[in-house]
Amino acid sequence: MTVYAFFPGCAYQSAAGYRESVDALNARLDIQLQELDDWNCCGATAAFSLDEPDGLALCGRLFALAQKEGFSRIVTVCNACYTTLLKARKRMEKDPQKLAAVAHTLADQGLELADSLPDVRHYLDVLVADVSDVLEKAAADNGDTAGAVAVYYGCQYTRPWISGPDAQRPRMLERLFTKIGIHAVDHSAGTLCCGASHAVPYADACGPMIRRIVREIRNKGGGIITTICPMCQFNLDAGQTDRQTDPLPVTYFTQIIGLALGIAPKDLGLNKLLIPLRTEKKKAS
Amino acid sequence: MDDQHLLDQFFTHPDCRKVRSCIQCGTCSGSCPLAAEMDHAPRELFALIRDGEIDIALRSNTPWYCVSCYQCMDRCPQEIPVADIMYRLKQMAIAAGCQPRSHKLPDFYRAFADDMGRNGRMTETHVMARYSLKHPMDAAANMATALKLLARGRLDLIPNRTHHPAQIAALTTMCRKRGSDS
Ligand code: SF4
Ligand code: SF4
Repeated sequence: MTVYAFFPGCAYQSAAGYRESVDALNARLDIQLQELDDWNCCGATAAFSLDEPDGLALCGRLFALAQKEGFSRIVTVCNACYTTLLKARKRMEKDPQKLAAVAHTLADQGLELADSLPDVRHYLDVLVADVSDVLEKAAADNGDTAGAVAVYYGCQYTRPWISGPDAQRPRMLERLFTKIGIHAVDHSAGTLCCGASHAVPYADACGPMIRRIVREIRNKGGGIITTICPMCQFNLDAGQTDRQTDPLPVTYFTQIIGLALGIAPKDLGLNKLLIPLRTEKKKAS
Repeated sequence: MDDQHLLDQFFTHPDCRKVRSCIQCGTCSGSCPLAAEMDHAPRELFALIRDGEIDIALRSNTPWYCVSCYQCMDRCPQEIPVADIMYRLKQMAIAAGCQPRSHKLPDFYRAFADDMGRNGRMTETHVMARYSLKHPMDAAANMATALKLLARGRLDLIPNRTHHPAQIAALTTMCRKRGSDS
C-alpha cells in the first residue's frame, strides 16, 4: 500500500460525491491518503490577492505539517489548492528570504519548516503515474457505463505549470480512460476558463464562458462532462441548471473511473449531482 | 501616497519590472476570457502603467476581474507573468485603499479571509452569508441552487474548522486587517 499526505481543501466536504468516489477508488486500488492533521485553508486566490506574506504563511503551515509527519509529497484534489501550494512552493524556493520569513512566523507557533519543501501533486497524477497498471487490471467488464465522456481539466491544473501543447490541450486523463475502456471524446474546451470565483458575484459574465464549454463538448459528441476540481464541477453543474434545456451531467473523474471498475453508482456519490447522470449496465462483449 | 512613489514600488517588484519588455502585441488581451468586462484589458493596462498612469491602473477593475486562468502567461511571447502582476496590483490597491468600490471581488475575498481567520478553514455557506450582507441580490439569485444543494446534503451546515483557529488567525492578520478597512 502506498501512503500519501492528503490535503483535502475546504470545498471537498460539500463536493458532489468527490469524497465518496475517491474513498471507493482508494479502497479498490490500495491507496492510502492520510489527511494532514489539523490542516488549514490554503488561502486560495483570496489570500494572495490581499497579502502575499499571509498567503505564503498559510501554505507554509501545510508544508510544515507534512514535514512533521515525514512526507515529501502532498496530494490535493482541487486545482485551486494545487496551484496555490505550487505557487507558494515556487516563490519560497526562488527566494530563501521568503522561506526564512515564513519559517520564523511558524516557529512562533511551535512548527518547524525545513528547507526541502514537499512536492505537490494532484490525485490525478497519482492515478496516472503510480497506479495506472493496477487500474488497467481492475477495470471491470460488467460495470455500469454512462456513455461518451469529455474531460474538462479547467485552468489551473496545467497552467502555469506545464508549457507547450499540454498547457492548452492535456491528454493524460483521456489516455487513462482509453486504457480502462471509457470512451473519451476529443474536444478543445478542456482548459477554457469556467469563471472560477467570479461565477457567484459575476454570474452574467461567466454564463457565456460556461455555455461555450458545454456547447463545444456537445458539438463534439460528449454526453457527460468530467472534472478534476470542486470549483469547476460546481460551476459547470450549477451553471447549466437554469439555462439549458438539455444539460450535460457534470461528474468527477473519480466517479467515472469508479464506474469502469464496476463500483455501484450509489457508492460513488452520484446521487449528489445537480444534473442527474443516467447509467446502464455494460453489455457483455 | 503619490504616484511616483507607487510607480517606483511597482517597478521594484521583480515580476512587475518585466512589464518594461512588453511589446504590446495584445496576445494577453486576446486570450483573456474576461477582457470584455475589464475597463482596460491587460495590454492596455500595461501601456498605461508605462505611461506613468499607476493611479488609473490601481483604480481599475482589471486585476479584480482576473480569475487566474493563466492563459495570458502561457501565451505571452515575452514571458511576462501577467497574472502574477495582477495579484501585485490587487495587493497594492488594497494597501493604498484605492481598489474600485464598484467591484464585488474585494468584498468576496474579505468574506473569505474573515471566515479563514475565524475558523482556519473556509465554509462556503459562511462566506456567502457574509458576502450577502453587502450584495443581497447575488444571494437571492443563488437561492434556487442553495435549495438543491440542501436537498442533496451538500450545504455546509457544520462549519469547517481547524483544532487551533487562533493559529490561523495569527497567520492572516494582514489579510483580515485589509479585510476590515472598508
Ligand atoms: S502578451 Fe505579453 S508582450 Fe504581448 S501585450 Fe501582453 S504582456 Fe505584452
Ligand atoms: S490570468 Fe487573468 S488576465 Fe490573464 S487571461 Fe486569465 S483572467 Fe485574463
